Amino acid sequence: MSPPVYPAGSLVAKPRLRSNTMLAYTARRLALFVPMIAGIVIVTFGIMLLLPGDPAIVLLGEDASPEALVEIRTALGLDRPWYVRLAAYFAGLIQGDMGRSIFQNQPVADAIGARVGATLELALLALAIAIVLGITLGVAAALWRGTLVDTAAMLFAQLGVSMPVFWLGILMMLLFAVKLGWLPSIGRGEPLVEALGAAATGRFGPLLGAISHLAMPALTLGLNSAAVISRLVRSTMLETLSQDFIRTAHAKGLQVTRVILVHGLRNALLPIVSVIGLRFGALLGGAVLTENIFGWPGLGQLAVAAISQRDIPLVQGIVLSFALMFATVNLIVDLLYTVIDPRIRLE
Amino acid sequence: MRLMRENPSLLIGGSIIATVVAFAVFSPWLSPYDVETMNMTNRFAWPSAAHWLGTDNFGRDLWTRMAEGARVSVLIAVSSVAIAVFVGTIVGLVTGYFGGWIDLLVMRVVDVFLGFPPIILALAIIAALGPGAQNLVLSLAAVFWTEYARVVRAVTLAQREVDYVAAARAIGSSHARILIVEILPNVIGPVIVLATLGLGTAIIAESGLSFLGFGVEPPTPTWGWTLSFGTRYLRTEPWLSIVAGLAIMITVLGFNLFGDGLRDYLDPRGVARKVKRDVS
Amino acid sequence: MRFGSALFGAAAVLAAAIASPAPSVAEVIRLGADVDAGTLDPRVQRDTTAYRVNNLLYDGLVQLDADLKPVPSLAVGWENPEPTVWIFRLRDGVKFHDGSDFSAEDVVYTFETILDPELKARFRSLYTPIAKIEAVDRLTVRIELSEPYAPLLSYMDLGIVPKAYVEGGGDLSNKPIGTGPMKLASWARGSKIVLEPFADYWGGMPKADGFEFVVVADNTSRAQAFEAGDLDIIQSPLSPQDIQRLGAMDDIGKSIMGGVGITYLNFNTAAEPLDDPAMRRALAMLVDQDTITNAIYEGVDQVATSILLPSSWAYTDTIKQPGFDPAGAKAALADLGWTDSDGDGVLDKDGKPLTIEISTHSEDPNRIQAVEFIQATFKQNGIDATVSIADWPAFFPSVQGGKYQIALLGWLNIVDPDRLMFAQFGTGAGQNYGKYSNPRVDTLLQTGRSSLDRAKRIEAYREAATIITEEVPYYVISYQGYQVFYGKDVALEPDVRGMMRSAVGF
Repeated sequence: MSPPVYPAGSLVAKPRLRSNTMLAYTARRLALFVPMIAGIVIVTFGIMLLLPGDPAIVLLGEDASPEALVEIRTALGLDRPWYVRLAAYFAGLIQGDMGRSIFQNQPVADAIGARVGATLELALLALAIAIVLGITLGVAAALWRGTLVDTAAMLFAQLGVSMPVFWLGILMMLLFAVKLGWLPSIGRGEPLVEALGAAATGRFGPLLGAISHLAMPALTLGLNSAAVISRLVRSTMLETLSQDFIRTAHAKGLQVTRVILVHGLRNALLPIVSVIGLRFGALLGGAVLTENIFGWPGLGQLAVAAISQRDIPLVQGIVLSFALMFATVNLIVDLLYTVIDPRIRLE
Repeated sequence: MRLMRENPSLLIGGSIIATVVAFAVFSPWLSPYDVETMNMTNRFAWPSAAHWLGTDNFGRDLWTRMAEGARVSVLIAVSSVAIAVFVGTIVGLVTGYFGGWIDLLVMRVVDVFLGFPPIILALAIIAALGPGAQNLVLSLAAVFWTEYARVVRAVTLAQREVDYVAAARAIGSSHARILIVEILPNVIGPVIVLATLGLGTAIIAESGLSFLGFGVEPPTPTWGWTLSFGTRYLRTEPWLSIVAGLAIMITVLGFNLFGDGLRDYLDPRGVARKVKRDVS
Repeated sequence: MRFGSALFGAAAVLAAAIASPAPSVAEVIRLGADVDAGTLDPRVQRDTTAYRVNNLLYDGLVQLDADLKPVPSLAVGWENPEPTVWIFRLRDGVKFHDGSDFSAEDVVYTFETILDPELKARFRSLYTPIAKIEAVDRLTVRIELSEPYAPLLSYMDLGIVPKAYVEGGGDLSNKPIGTGPMKLASWARGSKIVLEPFADYWGGMPKADGFEFVVVADNTSRAQAFEAGDLDIIQSPLSPQDIQRLGAMDDIGKSIMGGVGITYLNFNTAAEPLDDPAMRRALAMLVDQDTITNAIYEGVDQVATSILLPSSWAYTDTIKQPGFDPAGAKAALADLGWTDSDGDGVLDKDGKPLTIEISTHSEDPNRIQAVEFIQATFKQNGIDATVSIADWPAFFPSVQGGKYQIALLGWLNIVDPDRLMFAQFGTGAGQNYGKYSNPRVDTLLQTGRSSLDRAKRIEAYREAATIITEEVPYYVISYQGYQVFYGKDVALEPDVRGMMRSAVGF
């Protein structure tokens, strides 16, 4: 008998869990961040070295004279050999210094700090939309299996993953902002956290502004994941509903809806949590296109600009931030497993 | 008819793919137009008897362009997925079977690639290599290979412990023989499913990269370029965007349905779905 | 300032009910910008957004009016006692945003630092003829030039920065302090730059409660945001198809005018077979300017006739480039020995086919289309043309390094003919990427730069333009148009450079 396959994390189902193993496990996973960060810095640096052109070219634009280019390259330290630059970057990174952005004219950490909130806010709301929409559709499809509801929900799911995101985004903008005038087409309102704070003191204007700006980009970004989640929920629910204990519950005369929701959904939770971790990674990546369409001032927009400007320290910093967020979410998901299902033990 | 009832995904998906392939292959005999010949007095024409899908921004026949685009876009998708499958399968087999330090090391490399947002990785690579179909293929393969490595490794890990593999090892079969004869067949199912789904992802990724300005150079008529370009004219000349968008959507739908249909036979545990990533 | 409803219906009613008294419409003007400013230090500004924001934050010694004529600003007057000496008399009682007083020291500091290579100023070369600058007294500045430099006054609109603030460690890039009508309120990087009125402005109180530069990178998104009422002003660069649509809208202000830029083909005169002027002329005859300008750019640009811009005092319509003439091109190519001797549809000479690569950068879809179109025309006429497109940082070094044949490029901010010719066509000059060289042109450009007699300058530039038209180091496709669209309650007097002073009352 082969053990179950959990390619998403390094988990193997074994009985019982002790709390100190959880700590040790977390420590071991965190230790793995180090080679990952080093690897990402090296790969990013390598790609940036291969990129034709350099920041000096972009800085000076069409007015660049060969002498001015030499002057600027020296000033930026681009004339040093690549290994010296890479070593200098690592030396800085160890001290928590990610360098200075050439085009943002500020430390990379500040440039990222000013943007990361916007990206997280967008990705989290998109995730919330994906979860709510995905579970609703999935449950509905499972409950009314084989009916029109099922077909419609699954058709929606298939179309959701078949549409290029930027096309969907621009079509939505055309409909909701331009034709109907319901939503602002671009930009961000006040940060959601601050808007919620204002709402707590009775001022609802900022919250309305924040949500109306978030609605379209979050929906555009979340739809794809909603589709994936809905299909997963449907199949897991169907599997669970066919199992014995559900039939037993039926036999005991428990109410059908209650049975489905309480037992079916709880059992479906585990695979959903695992897929949500992966989806969050996908959402962070998807934010790159969404932010560029809706003028959302996040890291994705900055990343594209930084690559096209050859702003090497900034590209490094942004890629590292994305990777850390992604790895952290995956770690949390793996830990959540054990909370949801105590039968699972960390290896 | 029985297939329709038992596995409609497979049938519908397969039909869509067959139609797209037929469109790409037979269109040169159906269309009297040349892919590159411009007619600036007939730009953005709506469909007519002369131009079944209308014309594009240079007055070129859109049917012909879309058929040529199908060849290019599908070829890009197939090539990038093929490279990813080849690399990923070898990496997954070796790491899963031998384990130990090689597994530890290679999985760290996989971590690194997973850490990148997919579109950023693809975009940076194509910016480094320069625009063009070949470089686009390489950049997409660089994003995709980790999926196959992880699926194959997971299946291999599981198979390694199975009785008949242990038996084969006991009678002294070589590693290569065990890998190819005993383990590889178990890997093929999930990989085929993942690859089918990956074809759809590749087509969408190509359009996203085109939108950000990192696609294939004109005048090569990829679907992604036509869509991203057409979207700029959405307000005044929506036709171009609609045709290209629907073509991409329907084709990707075909690959996704077909992949899901195959899964029932080839990957009942759904290993492939779990590692699938989006590049959008 | 909205002219479309941007909130969702029911929710808006709810919000109005919840919020205290309905907020009065704020006179804040929101402008859509295509890029964020890199820095708000006018000395090192690079992008058009910085250029336009700084125009509101700072004053120069002069301002350029709508006809690009220098008019007094921080300088109330100037004289030119000798060809190489300029004396500026400064305005009294001017304050910086931090409350400090403006004086001649600030002017001297601004120009001395921009000339310092350490500062890495992109536009430093415009000021290099300045040999010496000194403060004669608190309100007088004297500039000495190394040679007579006629365009100087046009570049004196550079924002003056406060010496004490910068030397005291003030971060001008992020916390700008100028003497301009607006001052910086906040700057959310990548998102928006918010300006507020400067109450102590020497010209009086600005007529806007605020001015926001909202960054929306995508041209189409920006146009849609304007239509949805989320922006009050949008301007070039815009997609031609959006311009057409917006141009048809009622109840908005709009202006579409000849700008101060060109789109042109740069011929590498050092690369075979383009080293022969006759070859360049023949190829130029295959460039269908009319279709490119009117179909691809949908008529928002103007078909160019020569290197002189219609907005310039040196312009004349008597100098004309060859124009689209495929038959003429075929004959000219045949004269040069290029014929289709083997009947494969491609011209050849000595057994070699005629191949030409046309390149441009990937950031501008219209330039890509233009290149694609030129390639198709070349092919139809027997030239085996290929296209090469890369992003700017990859594309530009190949042009600068002379590794190209024909490149499609543009020039902006041509406020003086010198700006488009001296560095571009002078033998060995900094931006002469195609290695063009003609001693007569060199002499003429020097005359144009150093003569202070307008008539002499006109004569020199016209002769140079005539030679350039014949020898085709550049083939100017179009004069770039400038477009601006604005809400009808914005009091904007459009300015070809996209400056926004009129919108705040100056």
